[in-house]
Amino acid sequence: MRHTGSSAWIAPLLLLVCGVLVLYPLVYLVTESLNIGDAQTFPPEEYGFGNYAELFEEPKVILNTLFVACLATVMAVLFGFIQAWILTRTAIPGRERLERLMQLPYYMTPLIGALSWGVLLGPKTGLINQAWRSLGFSSDAFNVYSPWGIAWVMALFEGTVAFVMISASMKSMDPSLEESSRVLGAGKMRTALKVTLPLVAPGVLSATIFVFAEMLGSFAAAFVLGIPGRFFVVTTAIWEATLSFPPDYGHAAAMGLSLSGAMVITLGISKFIMRKGSYATISGKGFRPRAMEVGALRWLLLAIAWGYIIVAVILPLMALTLTSFERFATVIVHQMQFTFANYETALAMGSLAPAFANSLLLGIVVSSIGVPTIGVLAWIIYRSRMPGRGAMEFLIMVPQAVPRLVFGLGLLWAWINIPIPIYGTLWLLGIAYFTVFMPLGLRTIAGVVLQVDKSLEECARVCGASWTYQMRTVTLPLLRPGLIAAWLLIFIASVRELGASVFLMGPNSKVIAPAIVNSWLSSSSELSAAMALMQTVMVFIAVAILFRVARRVGGTTV
Amino acid sequence: MSGVQPRIEVKDLVVRYGDAVAVDHIDFAIAPGELVTLLGPSGCGKTTTLRSIAGLETPYSGTITLNGQTVFSGSERRNIPAEKRGVSMVFQSYAIWPHMTVFENVAYGLRVRKAPKAEIDTAVARVLNMVQMQSYADRPSSNLSGGQQQRVAVARAIAFAPNVLLFDEPLSNLDAKLRAEMRVELRELQRSLDITSLYVTHDQEEALAISDRVIVMSKGKIEQIGSPEEIYNRPRSLFVADFVGAANMIQGQVIGPGPNGTLLFEGQGGIRLEVEAPPDGRGGTTVALRTSYIHLTPMPETHNAVAGTIHRRMFHGDFIQYVVDWPAGQLIVRRPPTEHYAEGSAVTLSFLPEHCVLL
Repeated sequence: MRHTGSSAWIAPLLLLVCGVLVLYPLVYLVTESLNIGDAQTFPPEEYGFGNYAELFEEPKVILNTLFVACLATVMAVLFGFIQAWILTRTAIPGRERLERLMQLPYYMTPLIGALSWGVLLGPKTGLINQAWRSLGFSSDAFNVYSPWGIAWVMALFEGTVAFVMISASMKSMDPSLEESSRVLGAGKMRTALKVTLPLVAPGVLSATIFVFAEMLGSFAAAFVLGIPGRFFVVTTAIWEATLSFPPDYGHAAAMGLSLSGAMVITLGISKFIMRKGSYATISGKGFRPRAMEVGALRWLLLAIAWGYIIVAVILPLMALTLTSFERFATVIVHQMQFTFANYETALAMGSLAPAFANSLLLGIVVSSIGVPTIGVLAWIIYRSRMPGRGAMEFLIMVPQAVPRLVFGLGLLWAWINIPIPIYGTLWLLGIAYFTVFMPLGLRTIAGVVLQVDKSLEECARVCGASWTYQMRTVTLPLLRPGLIAAWLLIFIASVRELGASVFLMGPNSKVIAPAIVNSWLSSSSELSAAMALMQTVMVFIAVAILFRVARRVGGTTV
Repeated sequence: MSGVQPRIEVKDLVVRYGDAVAVDHIDFAIAPGELVTLLGPSGCGKTTTLRSIAGLETPYSGTITLNGQTVFSGSERRNIPAEKRGVSMVFQSYAIWPHMTVFENVAYGLRVRKAPKAEIDTAVARVLNMVQMQSYADRPSSNLSGGQQQRVAVARAIAFAPNVLLFDEPLSNLDAKLRAEMRVELRELQRSLDITSLYVTHDQEEALAISDRVIVMSKGKIEQIGSPEEIYNRPRSLFVADFVGAANMIQGQVIGPGPNGTLLFEGQGGIRLEVEAPPDGRGGTTVALRTSYIHLTPMPETHNAVAGTIHRRMFHGDFIQYVVDWPAGQLIVRRPPTEHYAEGSAVTLSFLPEHCVLL
């Protein structure tokens, strides 16, 4: 590759920028976690492990976190396994559409999931609880402001990754492995137990551990449903620690780093199992395992599959819609008064309209800068022979292992202590979004870069095209769908971002998700519902475009 | 080749990947209009050599000269980029750009060179005609069959009239019948355009069928360069004898001179064979004997005649392959399908000394 002459400076420059963006906040985080002196001074006057030792003085937070994470993981894997089995292995009508719908809960976000389930199952006022009481019961059917409720919401809205991973391992299984068992005389049941189950077991186990790691770092559901009852998990405890007066950044940083450490280890185990266990599922062919004929049972299975969509998408959206048009959310169902006032308020209120505009602006700017930058990085990492490619990839993927909340804390602390006045401005939010969404962008673009056969580019060179001509006529046109997908994914992620934003938002730089939370905490559920719906509509429009782009690229869904 | 300046000249070429040596000090030259094949098993360095000539790999040392112009020189630190070398290449994967029509694919090299539109139209029509794809010009190239993609790839490679054409295993993704057809077509095309070609393949039958000369490579080194007949009849090494064509290897040693300038070779089981004396006086412990050069007769003969028994008979259609028990073990023999011997029947094996290649 000879083009390096003109572009030799690009790679070191990008590496430097990404390095600073990723490592700078982390260095602050580590330093602060070891600060046992005055938390407000930097650099610290005294170093020690006191902040870490403190973690175990009140083990309640740790136990809460483990309890909720385990509960949510069990639920998510159970739902995911059943859904994956129904949608990949049984002949039920409309499988493909259901499979596409299964992606919606993830795009709904746990924040909106928590709000809507708060509306559905809140004590006394929840719609389901009201219906329950009207049937003559004297107490609530269920109080969602509880560890079980938090786990339920986390499982529904963050657990879809379990479905994705498990159905991937079920799909990639060579059907002839099962067919040969049947041919050799084993029945359906025996084949399922002796062949199918052992083959998908590594995939399921790996998904379980992966989901567990995600749940450890989950913030939104515990925030919305846990704070009112003062039930804290690690992430909400970090948030709480920074709000106390004086803010206990050292304690928060120690908690955040310990959480990241736990997540890195768990994710590592998951990856290891996936690699070791992949003996069963490798074959790389694009077949779809033969769907089992299930007779009349298919109506039950269809009902279960749709039941999930109803519980995770339709019911929450209906509850939010209903609430958003109400004048007072707390009144009894048959006394409802309907109004557009909440939408008018959301769009007119001094701080809310700018929050929408800011989120939109950030989404567009961050993805428009992110996609070309990450595109060049992806090309260098996966196509060039430049030394240090591996290090570059590792560096870019680091934010993936750090919960966004913790990263936001690091950025907050890092930029407070620097004389450049960007704290409290959109600039800082933009930098934060860019940094935390680099792994997302790199994974998406890498997927397409690796799909484009190298000889397609080489052939252009041999035909006489210069590097720029080749880029313009061959490489970029081939990458276009992937780049558009990456743009949309980063846009969606930015618009719905909560974890990092809660720390970095300033009075003049509000963004949607934290604004919704604030509105919720100041107990105006009608207004929050209206805002949540508007955010959801924005995200769903982007998702619809994403699906269309993805379908044009050889029928693969993102 | 003497007197004519070679189109492609490779001198003392070394290609390394880190510590691994992929191509290890090789030399060869290709005259104008010649079709030369680089033949060898996967990992022997043949594709790396081809890609180095195209400018897609950077060699470690040596020189590559195209049309008298040095395009790579390790000592002069000269490396002309691929797009400035004026070569063309047909890729193993065909590398048909899926986002362009057939016409746009073929016209690419001409458009890069800023040829006038009228000239592009005639040139593309001409080459598409040559590969019988003229009716596909306006089709999107994303749903062509393998054979059609292959034809488009060839048309694209010759459209801008390059002076050297490189083929990287162009037929390996086609089924057997189509491969045999395309082999004939490629050779016809190469002859009629009189275009200097270097062709990489691991298929020895393909190499023998289409080439003017064959270069057999193994482990980054050249084992032998010669015409297909030379490679087949006069292999210079065990590797070549084994890799090209089907041969029996008979272990033993030379025990002295035989009649008419031959050597007497004693194999296992005490059989004695008259073998041709190697021209350079080398003498080894193995005799290579092509399966097609062995006669089977019901009666004894004189030269190199040994008694054997038909152990197994396999009908292959174009030939019958016999496994024959003989004193030195088993021998593979290929005969035309008209020569039938039942399994278990006694035969006499006979072959000429010149077909016994001492290695």
